[in-house]
Order: sequence, then structure tokens, then C-alpha cells
Amino acid sequence: MTRDGSLIRVSGLTREYRMGAETVHALRGVDMEIYRNEYVAIMGPSGSGKSTLMNIIGCLDTCTVGEYWLNGVEVSGVGDDELARIRNQEIGFVFQTFNLLPRATALHNVELPLIYAGVSAKIRRRCAAQALERVGLADRMQHRPNELSGGQRQRVAIARGLVNEPSILLADEPTGNLDSTTSAEIMGVFDGLHQQGQTVVMVTHERDIAARARRVITLLDGRVHSDTVREAA
Amino acid sequence: MPLLEGLRLALREIANHKLRSFFTLLGIIVSVAFLVAVVAIIQGMNAYVRENLAGAIVGRNAFQIRRIPISVGLIDDEEWRELQRRPVIRPEEADYVSRAIPDAEAIALQSGWPTPMADVSWRNRTVGDVLVVGVTAPYQVVQDYETAAGEPLTEIDVRERRRVAILGFDVADKLFDNFDAAIGRRIRVRGFQVAVKGIVEKKGTVLGQSMDGFVMLPLTLFEAMYGRRQTTVISVKMPEAAQVADAMLRAEEAMRIARQLRPGQANDFTVDTAEGLITFWQNLTRIIFTVVPAVVAIGIVVGGIVIMNIMLMSVHERTREIGIRKSVGARRTDIQQQFLAESVALATLGGLLGIVAGWALAQLVAVVSPLPARITWWSVSVALGLGASIGLIFGVYPASRAARLDPIAALRFEQ
Ligand SMILES: Nc1ncnc2c1ncn2[C@@H]1O[C@H](COP(=O)(O)OP(=O)(O)OP(=O)(O)O)[C@@H](O)[C@H]1O
Ligand SMILES: [Mg+2]
Repeated sequence: MTRDGSLIRVSGLTREYRMGAETVHALRGVDMEIYRNEYVAIMGPSGSGKSTLMNIIGCLDTCTVGEYWLNGVEVSGVGDDELARIRNQEIGFVFQTFNLLPRATALHNVELPLIYAGVSAKIRRRCAAQALERVGLADRMQHRPNELSGGQRQRVAIARGLVNEPSILLADEPTGNLDSTTSAEIMGVFDGLHQQGQTVVMVTHERDIAARARRVITLLDGRVHSDTVREAA
Repeated sequence: MPLLEGLRLALREIANHKLRSFFTLLGIIVSVAFLVAVVAIIQGMNAYVRENLAGAIVGRNAFQIRRIPISVGLIDDEEWRELQRRPVIRPEEADYVSRAIPDAEAIALQSGWPTPMADVSWRNRTVGDVLVVGVTAPYQVVQDYETAAGEPLTEIDVRERRRVAILGFDVADKLFDNFDAAIGRRIRVRGFQVAVKGIVEKKGTVLGQSMDGFVMLPLTLFEAMYGRRQTTVISVKMPEAAQVADAMLRAEEAMRIARQLRPGQANDFTVDTAEGLITFWQNLTRIIFTVVPAVVAIGIVVGGIVIMNIMLMSVHERTREIGIRKSVGARRTDIQQQFLAESVALATLGGLLGIVAGWALAQLVAVVSPLPARITWWSVSVALGLGASIGLIFGVYPASRAARLDPIAALRFEQ
């Protein structure tokens, strides 16, 4: 494994939710480092804080206490607009529930990040088409989400995550809503992207899916429980 | 997000909810339509009063010396009693005026208001409700009457109190099949026998009223039939419009001399042009123009609140969409602009539809009633500007609500 640099470094990451008088501790001090070109699986029981961690890494959420460095830049503490810019340019996020715009075509859904990046319509279209080709959906560009299968929808979501050539592709249980055959296909897509050099961090419940990753981080009750790197796939 | 993209999104969103958008806009459409239609009708009337009515009543380049002003307008009882005490205009006073204005094209006397109406008949044909006016010969010059057949009235007809009559075009048309054969025929006006001396060329209609339904008699004959009117009027016609103002001053001076008024004593007569009528009309429209905006403003504000409501609903419905957009990098301003563009586009569309509806309404009024309509550019641009600013003002709150949404909460949102 080449370690040409730390892409993500978090330390003492804490996230609390206030529910009236009660405080829910979703993360209780997470320290970890993720390097370029890694393929990391995050596991752990339900409620252990996996999604919370992913959302903070994905700049959709901010930590209560702690530091988060992305690409050598401290993210914790930057303003709302800067977070939006990072989400737009550094991060691709794939959700369990796809989160596609229901009325827009696959092509338009993939174009979306480029619209907010200020890319001209012509280049947008070309980049989005290329991203759809990368996930094997060149023939479904004009379909709307309800005209696509679950696996195809998730491919569109992956293409959308890729289209801005992000530093890191984050996926929170991307196969959680899919049957096993389709899951295997989607995992194949992630494997392929990793082989092309894409850094991937993926939350999953399933051991055989985690087994594809070189490194598995396990969370337990808001803390890192184990962090194992396996040689040879 | 580029403006064009925002506009495209906004239009698609409106197109996706056509019926809802329409009902949302009803308030604005009705208000704007009302504004455009009322303004169109008032503007049409303005032009009409200026171009037709004034000329038709007083005559071109003409003014009148009267006991009671042409348009009395809103006056109190005291002023009305003062008008009632004024002496009647006497024929001799016309001589004072004509001596003071030797350059006048014509100076005429005419029986005043109220104009009597009578049945006019020839053999077995009768025309009802014909206006009967008594005039001196120059009146025909003041009114620019052209003769369609026969001869106009002369000074001698008036002096000799000849039993002759000049017919308006419509009256002659109804009584006689052949105008030339009509000349010299004896007709009955309110039982009096008079001979047809001439027929006046068609004058057309003003505000739906025919200007051709009259019988014109020598003033002396008229007064023998109906008695002297309390409202006899002196009309003065000048060759050029530019001479009217100066001639009015000289007429006023002549009348003061005729009536032996001392300096400081108020005029007990009125020198009036159709300007007075126009002024009266303008005062009336000024009142309408202050009432209409108030009504429109209420409608617009109500319409704006409806838009705000619908936009809030739309933000609520599209919470997930907002979350998705934010998750791929939309900034607050991007979301805000998107929703603002939508409310502005919506309200401007309302303005446009209102203009179309108002225009149609004005045309309808113009067709079914004698009121003319004239669409003005300023009312159209005011309507459009109004629509756009309503969208902007009432869109700010929903748009900023949308912009402030937390991405995670928005993505988790279930309808
Ligand atoms: N918005 C929130 N408000 C309150 N508590 C929250 C909120 N989001 C998460 N939590 C709490 O934080 C803890 C961690 O949640 P998280 O979603 O990160 O778990 P997870 O590991 O992703 O679980 P799963 O495998 O079920 O997705 C849970 O106890 C959860 O109840
Ligand atoms: Mg989760």
C-alpha cells in the first residue's frame, strides 16, 4: 500500500445531540487517519456512530468538539459556504437511499454538482455523460429515477459522486437497499473505481462486503474499537 | 447557480403545478386585470373627452359666455345659490362681446340647457325625442355644421322670426327618403308648422349619443314657442386656437362693462371653454386614480400572502430536494436564489396573465358599452413591475427558510 499522504485526519472527534434535557453521545472522541488511494470499510453495530462520522467527514455535519483535517486544510470551524464548496469539490457522497432528484433525468442528476461548481452547460453534459459511462449506464441517461432499477439508481448516485473528481468517495451503506446480486454488482463498481485510484470510505454491515476493503475500522459506542489492515486481497 | 439555470428550474416547477400556480396567482391576476382595465377605460375616456366631447359641445377653437359654468362639479349649497342669483344672459350683451372681439370668426346665441325634446312629424311619419335648439345664424359656424341639403339659417330668418327649421341628419333621414325633396316641406314640431330649410351633414356619435338627432330653429321662433330660457349662452369662435385665451379676457371685460360691475365685484357670469369640462373630468379621474390603487394594493398584498404561503408549502414539500442540492454543494445563496427566482417568476406570470385579462376586459367593455378603452404602456409596466416586486418581497421569507435548512435534517425528512 502506498502512503503518499494523509487525506483525512480526525482527532478527538465528538458529536453530541441535545434532546431536551438529555444528551446523546453519537461520537465520543474518534481518532483516525485515512490515506490517499485507500479503500476503508467502516463497520459496527447499529447506533455506534458510523453515519454520524461519515456525515462529518462528508462536511454535511460538524463535530461538537475535535479537529478534522481534509487534504491538509482544517475543516472544523469553517463557515457554511466553505463547507458547501468542500462538499461540492472534494467529496462524493453515496447514500443508502440514493437521494436522487425524482423528476430529473439520470444525466441531470449527475450534472447537479457541476451546476453548483459553475461549469458551463456544454462541459457539464460531457462530464456527466462520461461519469455515467464509468458506472456502466451510458444507455440510461435520459431515464428518470422511477424508470430505473435500484441498482441503476445507485449507479447514477455513484456517477454523481464521481463527476467532480472528488478527493474521496464516501458511501453510507450503499447496498443497504439492494438485493445480494445487485449488491455484488455495485460493489464491483466500487472495486473498479478503487483500482483506478479513487479513495473510498464505505460504511457496511456485511462482512463479505467489508472483506473487499484492505482496511476495516470498527466503531463501538462512538469510539474506534478496532482498525485492521490486511495485506493481500 | 447561474441565473438562467434558476429561471429554468422555476419555470419547470410552475409548469409541473399548473393548476396550483393558477390558483395561487388568482389574487394577483384579478388585481392587475382590474388595474389595467380601469386605467385603460379612463385613459380611453380621457382621450375621448378631449378629442370629441369638448369639441362637440362647445365647438372647435370656441368658448362660451354662460350664466352657469359648463361643468359645475362638486360645489356647496352657498355656491349653488350664488349661481342661481346670477342674471340671465341677454341678447344685447352679445353685441358688447362682438364689439370687444372684432376678430372673432363667429359669435352666436343659443338657447341653453335644459334642451326641450319634441316629436317631429311629416305626414304620417313621426320621430320622437328630438332635441329642439334655438340659435342665431353664426351658431352653425361655431359648430362647423356642413349643409347636406338646402340652405343654412340666416340673420334674416332670426330677425323676421321665420317659421323655418334646419334638421339634424338622423331626423331628416327618418322623415324623408330624399333630402333634396325634403327642402320646403312643412313639418310639425310640437304641433307648430315649420318649413324645412336645410339638413346638416352627419356629425356622428359622442359617447354613444347621436349628435344628429336635433331640430334647429331661429332663436326668436324658439323663444316664441318655449319662452326665453334662463340659460341662454353666447358662443364665440376664434379662427385660431391660440387666440382663444386672449379673446376670453376681452369677452370677460366686455361683459363686466355691459353689466356695469365695479372693480372688485365678482363676475356674475362665466367665460368657459370645454377645458372646464375636461378639468371636471380630470378631477373625477384623479379621484378614481386614488381609489383604484388602494383597491389594487389590497388585492396585491393578499395575492402576495397567498404566494408566500404556497412557497412555504413548496419549500416544505421539497425539503429532501433541498437536502440533496445542499449535499452536492449548493450554498445558502444558491438555494435562496432558486426559490426567489421561482416566486418572482410566479408573480410576474400573474402580472402577465392579469395584463391579458385586463386587456380583454377593457376590450369587452369597449365593445358592449360606449366607453372607449385605451391600453397604456405605463399601466402594463406598472403591472409587471408590481408582479415582480411582489414575488421578490413575499418570496424572501420562504426562500431564506429553505436556505437555512440543515442538510442532514433535510435529507432525513419524510413527507
Ligand atoms: N439527529 C439526531 N438527533 C438525535 N440523536 C441522533 C441523531 N442522529 C443520530 N443520533 C444518535 O446518534 C447515535 C449514532 O447514530 P448513527 O446514525 O451515527 O448510527 P449508525 O452507526 O449509523 O447506525 P446504523 O447502522 O443503524 O445506521 C444513535 O444513538 C442515534 O440515536
Ligand atoms: Mg447509519
